[in-house]
Amino acid sequence: MAKNSIDEIIKKTNSYLCIDCGECTGSCPVSRVNVNYSPRLNVEKMVLGYFDEIKKDENIWSCLVCGLCSKRCPSDVKYDEFIKLSRKEIRKHNEKLNYSHNRIIQKSMEIMTQGNTQKRTEWIGKELKVSKKGKFLYFTGCLPYFEVIFEYLNIHPLETAGNAVKILNKLGIEPVVNNSEVCCGRDLLFNGDEENFLKLAKINTKMLKESGAEKVVFTCPECLETLKEIYPEYLGKTDVEFIHITQLVEEAVKKGKLELDSSSIKKFTYQDPCILGRGLGLYDEPRNIIKSIPETELLPIERERENSICCGPSAWVSCTNYTKRIQHVRLGQAEKTGAEVLITACPKCYIHFSCALSGDDEDYKIKLMDITTLIAETMKSKKKHTDSHRLEG
Amino acid sequence: MKKKKTNAKITKAKMTKAKKIKKKTKKLQYPKIITFACNWCSYAGADLAGVSRFQYPPSLRLIRVMCAGRITPTFILDALTDGADGVIVSGCHFEDCHYISGSRKAEKVVETTRKLMHLLGMDGRRLRFELISAAEGQKFATVAREFTEEITNLKKEKHGKK
Amino acid sequence: MNELRIGVFVCKCGSNIAGFIDVPAVAEYAKGLPGVVFARHNLYSCSESGTQTIKDSIREHNLNRVVVAACTPRTHEPVFRAACEDEGLNQFLFEFVNIREHCSWVHMQERELATQKAKELVRMGVARVALLEPGEMTEVEVIPSALVIGGGISGITAATALGSMGLKVILAEREKELGGMLNDLYKLYPTGEDAREFLDKRIKTLKKFKNVEILTSSEIKDIEGYIGNYNVIIKEGKKEKDYKVGTIILATGALTYKPKKVSKGKSLFNYDGKNVITQIQLENRLIKGLKEKKVVMIQCAGSRVPERIYCSRICCMTAIKNGMLLKKANKDAEVTILYRDLQTYGTDYEDELREAKKAGVKFIRYSKEKPPSVDKKKKFVSVHHELLGRNIEIPFDLVVLSTPLIAHSDVKKLSQKLKVPVDEHGFFLEAHVKLRPLEFATDGVFICGCAHWPADITESISQALGATSKAAIPLLNLKVTVEPIISYVDEEKCTGCGICEENCPYAAITKDPETKKAKVTEVICKGCGICASNCPEQAIDIKHYKDEQFSAQLKAAFEEVKT
Repeated sequence: MAKNSIDEIIKKTNSYLCIDCGECTGSCPVSRVNVNYSPRLNVEKMVLGYFDEIKKDENIWSCLVCGLCSKRCPSDVKYDEFIKLSRKEIRKHNEKLNYSHNRIIQKSMEIMTQGNTQKRTEWIGKELKVSKKGKFLYFTGCLPYFEVIFEYLNIHPLETAGNAVKILNKLGIEPVVNNSEVCCGRDLLFNGDEENFLKLAKINTKMLKESGAEKVVFTCPECLETLKEIYPEYLGKTDVEFIHITQLVEEAVKKGKLELDSSSIKKFTYQDPCILGRGLGLYDEPRNIIKSIPETELLPIERERENSICCGPSAWVSCTNYTKRIQHVRLGQAEKTGAEVLITACPKCYIHFSCALSGDDEDYKIKLMDITTLIAETMKSKKKHTDSHRLEG
Repeated sequence: MKKKKTNAKITKAKMTKAKKIKKKTKKLQYPKIITFACNWCSYAGADLAGVSRFQYPPSLRLIRVMCAGRITPTFILDALTDGADGVIVSGCHFEDCHYISGSRKAEKVVETTRKLMHLLGMDGRRLRFELISAAEGQKFATVAREFTEEITNLKKEKHGKK
Repeated sequence: MNELRIGVFVCKCGSNIAGFIDVPAVAEYAKGLPGVVFARHNLYSCSESGTQTIKDSIREHNLNRVVVAACTPRTHEPVFRAACEDEGLNQFLFEFVNIREHCSWVHMQERELATQKAKELVRMGVARVALLEPGEMTEVEVIPSALVIGGGISGITAATALGSMGLKVILAEREKELGGMLNDLYKLYPTGEDAREFLDKRIKTLKKFKNVEILTSSEIKDIEGYIGNYNVIIKEGKKEKDYKVGTIILATGALTYKPKKVSKGKSLFNYDGKNVITQIQLENRLIKGLKEKKVVMIQCAGSRVPERIYCSRICCMTAIKNGMLLKKANKDAEVTILYRDLQTYGTDYEDELREAKKAGVKFIRYSKEKPPSVDKKKKFVSVHHELLGRNIEIPFDLVVLSTPLIAHSDVKKLSQKLKVPVDEHGFFLEAHVKLRPLEFATDGVFICGCAHWPADITESISQALGATSKAAIPLLNLKVTVEPIISYVDEEKCTGCGICEENCPYAAITKDPETKKAKVTEVICKGCGICASNCPEQAIDIKHYKDEQFSAQLKAAFEEVKT
């Protein structure tokens, strides 16, 4: 065992600072359902030099990287980073790796590193206006792939993309949607595959440069965080501004550039996606959007904002019965609010909750909706003087 | 049969003559095609092609699966990125599928894979879905010949473009 | 894990392989592959001396994996597996590489490339064998009793035959009486036997067997289990009873299609159940004696039409037989049969047709596009005569519609309980028309008679006897063996999403209601792997066909695996 790399993990993640308090394990949604999983113990093992035990324990793949423990750790141990580096180390040792969905998502990402010309923009219909080059870029993320891979759940992740462009068009923006965009690579990174992550990061960085984009809007919080915060760690800073669609819409609503009409649905509750909330601190933007819809109520859900619970699996490695239980806990909480619809602002939340709702274990009344769908469906159509409302960019 | 043998001899003689030159060029001549064949129909179809001595190019590498429905998109994409020029997924005819719905499931998987290949900018023609029964040795050989040719042309096309 | 000690045996198969492939070179190549400690070539691997060589080598070189590169596993796998087992090497640690059917015989003019291909195939086989795991055949005890569902002629025949073998039989009939459709028939073709007498004789024989339990007015409430061990709950009258059986024969028969009576509007050929009736209603009237003299029969009434595209098979003969009966009963009777095509297959039936024609039954062909119309007021049937090129009018006292046999409306319930498929028309679908007739893909369940497809009595009886002998094999052997090529579930990963259950063609994988996890019933599982390929959590794999085994085989197709 390369002792150096273990030492490096300990240093980089502040593991040595662990005071053994157990706040992490106490907070961990996985530990709640899986007694064999303990972030504290993993950190302890690492510090003691028992990496072999971590390596052989499948539970290292259970972490959802939801950030709850890191947020609460009084000693600043970066457990997300700990997981990332540990998995990278495990991969180096040719251990059996964990995957879900028969590895097809990772496989697709790997193929994207090879620089083929993709055909990922064919979903853009005539009614949507996009440009070849421009200052404003919409980053689709893996939505076109999810559309194919999750067909069996009878969901259409691409609707989110369509609605996003519709919203942007409404705001007078004709965004660049680029065929040479690739997966942000975050999931590969958290699978421990830094090598392919870097390849993807480089392709995207090049793509952004060539497109001339100054502002990039995202519907996927994970892509957003990756481009905004992780890429610079590896590839240096850029001047490009990265924002989530809810930021853009909230601002437009505030400034009166976009008005949302009442909806047939009156009672909503909202799921804070881990990365949008804890990761990027965007708690109020989506809430303000929902609240701006006339005659609606945004019902508070048990454990929200920084205490919110993850939708379950992460990085396409850890779909287990534990994650399923976490999903049911969360959906149960959503149901209890009395809301008709649970709004999510992350495609992965949408996929994972759809899967849990499709099962026959529990009967839920609550429906699921992506925030872009809500915005697109309630956007007022009467105000048609879009030109005067053109946003900068 | 006898005729074939003499043919073989002639070819053999020819081959030794131009062995050194031919060896390299010949190797290039055939693409590599991974064939996932179900145990009950298509594998047996390949057997029958052999028993009937239907000749086809030595491009296929057959992997036996119990049912074509065992295949996942990842298997196919793995094959294509590991080095296969083409992939055939072959199962029983729908109505005689040994596993009732296995062939249909396989068709669905191939469809999904094609969609992904399309998104990923890979040539969907590199993937072929076939229904070959145990009685269709001729079909197996024909598919092998045609697909080898198609893949060879695709490769040429690609090289030409470059 | 023990050190890998792979032995590779490359077969010359006389000149079948060696004539077109450099076999010694392949064996030599194999020696250099990772994990291979021994490789050689044989003249005929499957011969006595060939298998002996393999056995000796396993012993001498302490082999723990064996690869034979020869012909096809479809014929010779058992031979080599047995050789391995003889030497105490688990048969599932053996891998067959096909270099004859898939190589030498199909690349007869490409010696060099065929040799290269053979080497690669061996390389793939070696990569796979390295990851194989031992497995054991499972034996399952069989409860020596059978359930026959349906007490028509098929069910009666099956129950009688099983009874005569001394097996315990439960015969469940939903009606008050046994006999099914025979109860409504008058006389039978081609023998002209009286249906009632025929049926009574059969029931009498059946009732002689004390080991046959007959349940009437009964309903199958629930069926659970698999070949050898079914738990069945049957409701007879008001009480429910549990039975344990080893195999099940489905003989639920069919119904005759009765056109819907429409007060106003139109019904099929103006069917009213009085002057326009169906063949089965005619049979009933024939029992009582028929007054009407002018009878027009319309064939394919409601069959071979878009809603019911199939041919009901028995209607041609039924019409011919009934036409003859009418003629025999009354020489002045005028019988006209309007048909689209006549199917009187076999010698007997063709003879009947000739007889009918001789007796004066008229046959007029009509086309699908111009079907006959029944005018009840004027009492004639108008039909376009293809040869005359015009409509002709045939007066009638009675119109008889040859309506098809159709599946029972509740057939889906039974098919779901038994996890066996039905076709679009509700007839049960056998596993394979030629290779596995009368069987379902689900082991232990068999089919006969009209539940399967419209069949006449002769055919129903032969099918019933066929199904009986198939169903009796496991019952008399008292056991079934199952290969361990089956799926298994990592319970920790399983989320209980149920996708595997939806996809399994055999209901071998089900969601345990208590644990909410997928559970494999090993005896039912056939190892197709559809569950594994659809499992989102990757919680399922197939023994002997594991993901990693495929991956290794695949990788080896392109590169020499590093040692």
